[in-house]
Amino acid sequence: MTLRDLIVISTGNLWRMKLRTFLTTSGVLIAIAAFVSMISFGAGNQERINNEFNKLGLFSTMQVYPRNRQVISDTASIAPLDENALKHFAEVPGVNIVYPYDAFSVTARLGDSVLSAKAQALPIAAVQTKLFSNLSAGVAFDSNSSRETIISDDFLKKAGMVVPDSAIGKKLVLSVHVSVIDSGLAHILVDRGQTILDRIKKIRLDSLVNKEYRMKVLHGEVNETIRRFLNGFVNAQSVVTDTLRVCGVRGPDRVGRMRIESIIIPASTAARFNSSGFSGNPADIFSALSSGTFFNRSDDNGGKTYSQVTIDFDPKVPYKGIRDSIEALGFRTFSFAAEFEQIQRAFLYLDLALGVIGLIALFTASLGIVNTMVMSITERRREIGVLKSLGADEVDIRWLFLVESGVIGVLGTVAGIFFGWTITRIVSAVAQAYMKNQGIPPMDLFALPVWLVLIALGVGVGVSVVAGFYPAARAARVDPVEALRND
Amino acid sequence: MNPQAFLSTVELCRYYRRGPQTVRALDDVTMSVTKGEFLSVVGSSGSGKTTLLNLLAGLDTPTSGTVELAGTALATMSRRQLSAYRAHKVGMIFQSFNLISHYTALQNVETALYFNGTSPHERHRLAAEVLDRLGLADRTTHRPSDLSGGEQQRVAVARAIVKKPEILFADEPTGNLDFENAQQLADLLASLNRDGLTIVLVTHNLELAQQYTHRTIRMQYGHVIHTIATGSAETTQP
Repeated sequence: MTLRDLIVISTGNLWRMKLRTFLTTSGVLIAIAAFVSMISFGAGNQERINNEFNKLGLFSTMQVYPRNRQVISDTASIAPLDENALKHFAEVPGVNIVYPYDAFSVTARLGDSVLSAKAQALPIAAVQTKLFSNLSAGVAFDSNSSRETIISDDFLKKAGMVVPDSAIGKKLVLSVHVSVIDSGLAHILVDRGQTILDRIKKIRLDSLVNKEYRMKVLHGEVNETIRRFLNGFVNAQSVVTDTLRVCGVRGPDRVGRMRIESIIIPASTAARFNSSGFSGNPADIFSALSSGTFFNRSDDNGGKTYSQVTIDFDPKVPYKGIRDSIEALGFRTFSFAAEFEQIQRAFLYLDLALGVIGLIALFTASLGIVNTMVMSITERRREIGVLKSLGADEVDIRWLFLVESGVIGVLGTVAGIFFGWTITRIVSAVAQAYMKNQGIPPMDLFALPVWLVLIALGVGVGVSVVAGFYPAARAARVDPVEALRND
Repeated sequence: MNPQAFLSTVELCRYYRRGPQTVRALDDVTMSVTKGEFLSVVGSSGSGKTTLLNLLAGLDTPTSGTVELAGTALATMSRRQLSAYRAHKVGMIFQSFNLISHYTALQNVETALYFNGTSPHERHRLAAEVLDRLGLADRTTHRPSDLSGGEQQRVAVARAIVKKPEILFADEPTGNLDFENAQQLADLLASLNRDGLTIVLVTHNLELAQQYTHRTIRMQYGHVIHTIATGSAETTQP
């Protein structure tokens, strides 16, 4: 008996029992539809994240941070994330570009709107990576000294503009209030017309032998010195202003854990702002204090350290090798590829959980197949006897019933995949309409990749055939003498 | 044992357990069939005729004794070899026709060729040819329920002979037929025998047996009580 014979006979038998076949197949159909729609939800989200990561080139992006003091021994020193470290990173095989996170607070005027924002200095090579080159309007600046800027969609909206193209060519006036350490030191010497000598003169030198008086003077003078420094540092600010042309508009300010500031300016152009001193933003001052660069700022970046550095590497090079090399230099790393692996693992667990629910439904459907096939044996005992008298072997009879349950599985699975896909399309359409209504960018929550179709086919047909094992074995064991005697 | 025997049995026994009792359906039967012979087995109900036929066809397994086909004991054959024996060498027809009710006449005949390696195209051609030969050319698409008893039995004969078997076992083939159809069927079997087909016919009808077959074995309570050479008054002990 050929497979074609088996399929022809099986489909003929199933066609004869249309209602029973329909009901049994429906069980498989519903189970597979549930399986496909649930797994396609996980697959859809996974695919969306994968596409997003690929689009932004995040698989080949790594961030480097100084080590936390808490996780290293108190005696060990923290490797500084400075220009020297950047040079070492650039020497690691596979690394294409290394650039620091270098941002400062600005007051920006675009048209009639004046906004407080943060500007980020980026070298031209970084701007040309996937991470920054996906612009919704315009083009990137073409040199490190270009007097152009790229702004974000969010910034544009805050400035009252909706259409990104309308911002291209507009002037963006940036002002930075710069606090200089020198003015703080100068105010220690002279503040509000009072010199440090005036303060010293007020001290009763003969009373310094008195401990209580001595401590009181000490506390008083320390407090006064700090007050004078801060007064000079914070209040005696200078303002650096520059006008740049908006050349491009880019997407959201945050990509995963990576913050991209609202205003991106070429590295050399930005130097004019951030080499002059500290901006008026207290966060910059605390940042400089915590990174130990407060007293080390200078024009040539000598001794300047960064809180964060981004590395763009060759996608063909495994991220683990680069990560290990960087960590061996004494730094912490964050890799999007590693994060994606974790996301994938989470999706695997989600898919497994959803798959188990689908399999439970399929198991229930398989009981329907067993029932149908056992009933079929009872009804077709004489037919089995006749077939054996005509020369059918037990193997032929077993195959006949296995193929029959397999045909139920194929029909139910194919219809189930189609039905499940239809359900996902309907749910996706409703979800997208809701997202649009809520102002969320519409996204497809589901995906039906080829692997899911193949797995559904394998599982659906496989479970159906397995369900046919017992009835097939039972049919094969039918005694032809008994079966033919029935009549 | 007859050295010219095509199919023979030696001290063949088939016992069944029915609760605490043992039913001796066939007890110590030794007989033989020669090539081209038309042998009939007669006896009352429960005499063991059908049991003998099932054992000869390899459908049943003897409790003891042997069935030999051209010198080879069926007991030495594997399950697959026995199936192949039925698929290639044996044709069977039954009292109740045993046609598959949802198949057409043509499909029923084709079914016999599923298990002997005949190609689908050849199956169709052979089945149509044999139905035509038996006068059922205009009934090929009819289902058994649309056919008369005589036609159904002719379809069953067509199914049995389409594979060109070496031996045909007929179990009470005229039992459900009227006199005229029974005569026609007997004529058909005799014609097939004249063409060289070896036939073992189990029947109640002693007259039919004596009229058409070369030799008749009479059975009672599982034993062969005598063998009659048809066409002569000679009666021999088995």
